[in-house]
Amino acid sequence: MKLSDIMGAANLSVYTEIAMLLFLAAFIAIVIATFAPGRQKTFDAASRMPLDDEHPQTPR
Amino acid sequence: MNARLDSFSYDDDIVRKFLWATMIWGLVGFLVGLIIAIQLPFPQFNFAPYLTFGRLRPLHTNAVIFAFAGNAWFTGAYYSSQRLLKTRMWSDGLSKFHFWGWQAIIVAAALTLPLGFTQSKEYAELEWPIDIAIAVVWVAFAINFFVTLAKRRERHIYVAIWFYIASIITVAILHIFNNLSVPAGPLKSYSIYAGVQDAFMQWWYGHNAVAFFLTTPFLGLMYYFMPKAADRPVFSYKLSILHFWTLVFLYIWAGPHHLHYTALPEWASTLGMLFSVMLWMPSWGGMVNGLLTLRGAWHKVTEDPILKFFVVAVTAYGMSTFEGPMLSVKSVNALSHYTDWIIAHVHTGALGWNGFLTFGMVYWLAPRLFQTEIYSKKLVDLHFWVATFGILLYVVAIYSAGATQGLMWRAFDETGRLQYPDFVETVMRLMPMYWVRIAGGTLYIVGMILGIYNIYKTWATRPAAYAVPVVQAAPLEKAFHDDPHAPAGAGLWARFTSAAWHRKWERMPLFFSVVAAVAVIVASLFEIIPTFLIKSNVPTIASVKPYSPLELAGRDIYQREGCFNCHSQMIRPFRYETERYGEYSKPGESVYDHPFLWGSRRIGPDLAREGGKFPDLWHVRHMYSPREITQKSIMPAYPKLQENVIDFDGIQKNVDAMAMLGVPYGDAINRAPQMARDQAKLIAAGIEATGGPKGLENKEIVALVSYLQRLGRDLKNATAVTAPQPAVQPVPPVAMAAPGGGNR
Repeated sequence: MKLSDIMGAANLSVYTEIAMLLFLAAFIAIVIATFAPGRQKTFDAASRMPLDDEHPQTPR
Repeated sequence: MNARLDSFSYDDDIVRKFLWATMIWGLVGFLVGLIIAIQLPFPQFNFAPYLTFGRLRPLHTNAVIFAFAGNAWFTGAYYSSQRLLKTRMWSDGLSKFHFWGWQAIIVAAALTLPLGFTQSKEYAELEWPIDIAIAVVWVAFAINFFVTLAKRRERHIYVAIWFYIASIITVAILHIFNNLSVPAGPLKSYSIYAGVQDAFMQWWYGHNAVAFFLTTPFLGLMYYFMPKAADRPVFSYKLSILHFWTLVFLYIWAGPHHLHYTALPEWASTLGMLFSVMLWMPSWGGMVNGLLTLRGAWHKVTEDPILKFFVVAVTAYGMSTFEGPMLSVKSVNALSHYTDWIIAHVHTGALGWNGFLTFGMVYWLAPRLFQTEIYSKKLVDLHFWVATFGILLYVVAIYSAGATQGLMWRAFDETGRLQYPDFVETVMRLMPMYWVRIAGGTLYIVGMILGIYNIYKTWATRPAAYAVPVVQAAPLEKAFHDDPHAPAGAGLWARFTSAAWHRKWERMPLFFSVVAAVAVIVASLFEIIPTFLIKSNVPTIASVKPYSPLELAGRDIYQREGCFNCHSQMIRPFRYETERYGEYSKPGESVYDHPFLWGSRRIGPDLAREGGKFPDLWHVRHMYSPREITQKSIMPAYPKLQENVIDFDGIQKNVDAMAMLGVPYGDAINRAPQMARDQAKLIAAGIEATGGPKGLENKEIVALVSYLQRLGRDLKNATAVTAPQPAVQPVPPVAMAAPGGGNR
């Protein structure tokens, strides 16, 4: 019996779907956290980072 | 607030080094591109053995991707990371090691590729010792980068840095997994994967090399240098976050679209297509984000050539990321695959996106790094216009070449026969477009020369000693603070949306990177493992046997000469392909192909069913002088193959390496050289008997002929299983050793 026989019989395809769902959940969480109200000021501070070579925009 | 301020300065010396390397290697890479563009319409410019199309084409792609674009990324990354993180690079020594190590690898590539040392996997041609060197240099770069990240003085990690992190990690993973091979000598190795699996691995690598070497690093540069040049923040930071995560989630799955209608399982190809189409959205989100960063500053674009370069770069990004998803749709791909359309597509990306973003960045950096004025703004403007026209000439010509050839391959006449049965007809039609490409490429190179001259003159007016400004900033505190801008609120939801968890993660960049790496590896394994281990995905064919020792030696020559750059070995299941070439290719046929040689472009015809199509003598004469056989052929001549002596005794170690990979070599494990000599003698005698040159029994041409005559024979044997040996061949009177050699 070869490894491929064992893997073939193990019915692994369900794990690809689980992985897909995990990725989708993580992605949705990122989208919600990014577009949640009230974070505009945080992002404004972050977006100024390239423009100032000397002063940290988000210290501490 | 911490009262203590650290004083430090940025290391710009390393940025200056990488900037010069970018420009010089860029010129070299473009020139090699021009040479191979000339070799197509004028095959007499192939100077065998070292300077043929098959050996120079990988040099061109490697030089442009890893030398030009790679050094450009490092230039921008070393400049921007230090400033975004408000810290000097952790180790100047590691920065220098990265620089000199990378340049040494480029030199090694420039030497070994023309000498014929190649793994023959696209953009991963370099042989195993160089691969190990790449891994070492990359790890040094990564360590330096991540420790710098940990020592930063800015809490939030700007989105450009995210793009760099993702690129560094993913490139490392791609490089290691795709290059796993068994060495058979100091500069020779066989991929541990075979056939379908190797193809899958290669294009998982190949596509993500485009994604994580040419796209995400340059997006990082875009998100830093566009705001810098326009002097305003990016249009939407939220959009840039979304851009990042969507690309990272989607790109890693898209590779199989390079293998539509091949012997790859259909589910994998469909998966690749779907994810590629989805990629269109975030890519355009990113393009819009880049262009709208210029909101309220459009008047500057007319005056500032740097912004012009950026606008065209971002537009080219938009065009190629629209075209990419379109080409990955199977029905479009059926027309475009194997044609120049793909070449045009990558050049929109490389010349437009990578090239112009690099030039904009270099012109922005030069006066700052050399602490002087730019020598001539007019020359920058001239560079922009000359190169823009160059791109237009190049891509318009090559798009039409691709469409022309694709349509000619599939054309049937009213009687239902192929309208252009002679492959060479479909090549001849492209010649005017190839001349236009040469003109376009030349213009692009003229622009590059203007650029180097301008940067040189700028450098010449640098101060006697560079000023090194001292920057002061407080180190990050160990204790955790909430985001001062975060909205107040209690409960789980408020805690989640205020992203305090994200600020915690940002305090642990190493942990964060490890988690990201695990995610990429897991996703890749879930896509790739099934083809490796689930049996039903690669059906075996009983009549498919390993190559005989002589055929293996011939296959090594085929690889060395880069034949796969112009000839595919993969017939797609379309009537116009089976009419032209024969029965379509099956996954089970290439189970002993370490590495796979399916190819990705047909400048010459497919060879998957070449065995038995022509007599041995035809191949001998054709290799010696292709245009004596096919008048209009553009193939290089390989007269040396009739002089070079086969290293018969060296074949044993190659057979042993293959046997180590599980290829059932049987008898040949002990007596490969003798078996090869016997088979070579038979073939040479046949060639002589049919009126060919004498004394070929120890010459390389015989090995190559034996390999070519083997191609596709196993499947023909399968249809006549009852016959013990294919002694009776309906096809021409070929003087052949038993196909499959004496090892069965």
